[in-house]
Amino acid sequence: MDSSLMDKLKILADSAKYDVSCSTSGVERKNVGRMGNASCAGICHSWSADGRCISLLKVLFTNKCVYDCQYCVNRRSVDVERASFEPAELAELTMEFYRRNYIEGLFLSSAVEVSPDYTAERILHCLSILRYEYGFAGYIHAKIIPGVSQELTHAIGMVADRLSVNIELPTEESLQRLAPQKKARAIFAPMKQITNTLIEQKSLKGPGTMFKGQNLNNPLNYLNPEGRELIQPEGANADIGDGSLYQMGSPAGNALIREARYKYKEKFAPAGQTTQMIIGAGTETDSQIVKTSESLYRSFKMKRVYFSAYIPVTDSPLLPSVFTAPPLIREHRLYQADWLLRFYGFTADEMFTKEEPNLDLDLDPKITWALRNINLFPIEINKASMEELLRIPGVGTVSALRIVRQRKVAAVKYDDLKKMGVVLKRAKFFLTCSGKYYGEKDLMPEYIKGKILEPCRIKSRLLPINDETQISMFSPGAFSLGAPQQSKSKRSLESNGGLLI
Amino acid sequence: MVDYLYDGSFEGFLTCIYYHYYEEKAAGIFTFDNYQPSILNTFVEIKTQGDKAAKVYDAIGQKISPYDLQRIYRVFLSTVINREMLLLNYIRLGFKQGSKIRLLHGNPYVSPVEKAEKKVTAEVHRILGLLRFSVLEGEVLYAVLEPDHDILEFLADHFTDRYKNEPFIIHDKRRGKALVAQGGEWYITDFTEKNLPHISQNEKEYRALWKKYFETIAIKERTNPKCQKNFMPVRYWKHLTEI
Repeated sequence: MDSSLMDKLKILADSAKYDVSCSTSGVERKNVGRMGNASCAGICHSWSADGRCISLLKVLFTNKCVYDCQYCVNRRSVDVERASFEPAELAELTMEFYRRNYIEGLFLSSAVEVSPDYTAERILHCLSILRYEYGFAGYIHAKIIPGVSQELTHAIGMVADRLSVNIELPTEESLQRLAPQKKARAIFAPMKQITNTLIEQKSLKGPGTMFKGQNLNNPLNYLNPEGRELIQPEGANADIGDGSLYQMGSPAGNALIREARYKYKEKFAPAGQTTQMIIGAGTETDSQIVKTSESLYRSFKMKRVYFSAYIPVTDSPLLPSVFTAPPLIREHRLYQADWLLRFYGFTADEMFTKEEPNLDLDLDPKITWALRNINLFPIEINKASMEELLRIPGVGTVSALRIVRQRKVAAVKYDDLKKMGVVLKRAKFFLTCSGKYYGEKDLMPEYIKGKILEPCRIKSRLLPINDETQISMFSPGAFSLGAPQQSKSKRSLESNGGLLI
Repeated sequence: MVDYLYDGSFEGFLTCIYYHYYEEKAAGIFTFDNYQPSILNTFVEIKTQGDKAAKVYDAIGQKISPYDLQRIYRVFLSTVINREMLLLNYIRLGFKQGSKIRLLHGNPYVSPVEKAEKKVTAEVHRILGLLRFSVLEGEVLYAVLEPDHDILEFLADHFTDRYKNEPFIIHDKRRGKALVAQGGEWYITDFTEKNLPHISQNEKEYRALWKKYFETIAIKERTNPKCQKNFMPVRYWKHLTEI
């Protein structure tokens, strides 16, 4: 056994574990090479102890880095074990794992060794071996490092299925503070290039395309914080004429691009692009984060914007203390907000008010919105449009579709809703069925909120189990005081989003 | 009303449906081996007849829809309790309603069939990821599984395409059969582990590498076994390389 391979895998997988994306969706491809195919729905192969899916071999090509980003485990100034793969060695490992059905493909990211271009060339080399030597037709997700030349970005896009450029932090101000060597403009340049190439190729798909033609390629929210007029930065036009910078010359003229022995794919990044940002390392509010991700969907037609709860790796004066618990619940609520953006037709502005720039940690954003706009409810199931149905808490995209389909042939009865997958414990307060209301009292936000939170409160013993229980003088454990130990719903802005242990 | 007994094959089941319409109404449909005679009903043993089965098969495809024919077949291969009666009711309603039946999500005859179908398709999708092959001597890929439902043939298309140049065997231990494929062709046969070749030389190394990767990729601060088990029920762990 080559023990050095084991060590490399350990070091470089450990460095890559904070990269969130592990999706293998977005491209349907039969086996056009020698081995492998891709399924549009994506296939998860395993789930690690933290409950995150493992579907790609997720490794860094190297963790030797010239950058010194505060939040990163591999920054230059820290003493960790360093390692690099050889392109051929990683390609072989990927193929052997793939044969055994351990993985769906490869996720290749890297620290910046020497320079962005040098690193990107090594990545391209490895991916080319996979595609051309092995005839691999499975899934490849490659990271593009800000600052990489356009030709390399394009070449990597031609061998990978999905590209991603990490935006790292939700506001430019945080980026300057925590990653001074990374520049917002340098991050947006490759994003823009990828989007434009996809537009040229007419292969834009996915949730980002719901935002039709609005501020295409305009990183508005990030570079011009709220309240400013929309300024068109130069070169923000989506239509690129002939002679654009990355129209490729002849393949033979470029040493990086080889003639394919297997014609396995001829599209540039058919599964689109994604990005990710860290939550809770800076002092952003949820409203800033959601607005940034919305503008990423609008401008770059992203497939996904991933969030990763900041896990303290270092004691830096710029970062939350090492004892801060990772803001996992906050991350969860942000993902719920993200789903509302992508599948439920919400906008970022609807989810927040001036007084509450953060999401409620106890309730999901859809209920919060519904309680704020209680005048729109109850909604009649048998008459409402698809858009209205999607606004009811407890009704998801699948159950809304089922309701609409059944209405064509038969009225929807209250008992049918449960069979269709509607979560009635939430939904019953917000809907009527053929004119009948099934919630217990009138539509009172405070009352509904209490009802929805009741099960969790019983679990945390803040409420007696039922109202008829008489309090006994002799068994002090029979009930606990009704005051919560710490109120979690109103978070102050200084707490960095994590709760102190 | 009478109980029909059949041999457990799909054709046998369709023959029972035929008799339900042309002879006596069925009170229940059971396989020979798990039938307990009841006081209320007599029982009749049905011999599988291809022509009668074909008649019902075509009728379902034409009068209900090809989609529903597939759905019925999938549910038939599930291990849901009393699946024959669920399907009989579904087919009866289908002949009345036609292809509209799939829109009646709330109907008491439709929703259990929908749920059973979902169990099967969900398991198929899960197994596509959770199957683990070992490379045996002679470069044959071999995988074992013990699925809840009889889903072997639903795995065929995906894996024959994916490993079109590699011979492989997917062994359903619970039912003692296997999917054998080579060069894009596949068939299902009875199978035991006797005479299997040994694992190849470097198989153990790759298993060790995969185990190490699996441990390393988890973020300690986020450990959440409940979440892990929701996605990957413990009954599948037996045949996983990494756990």
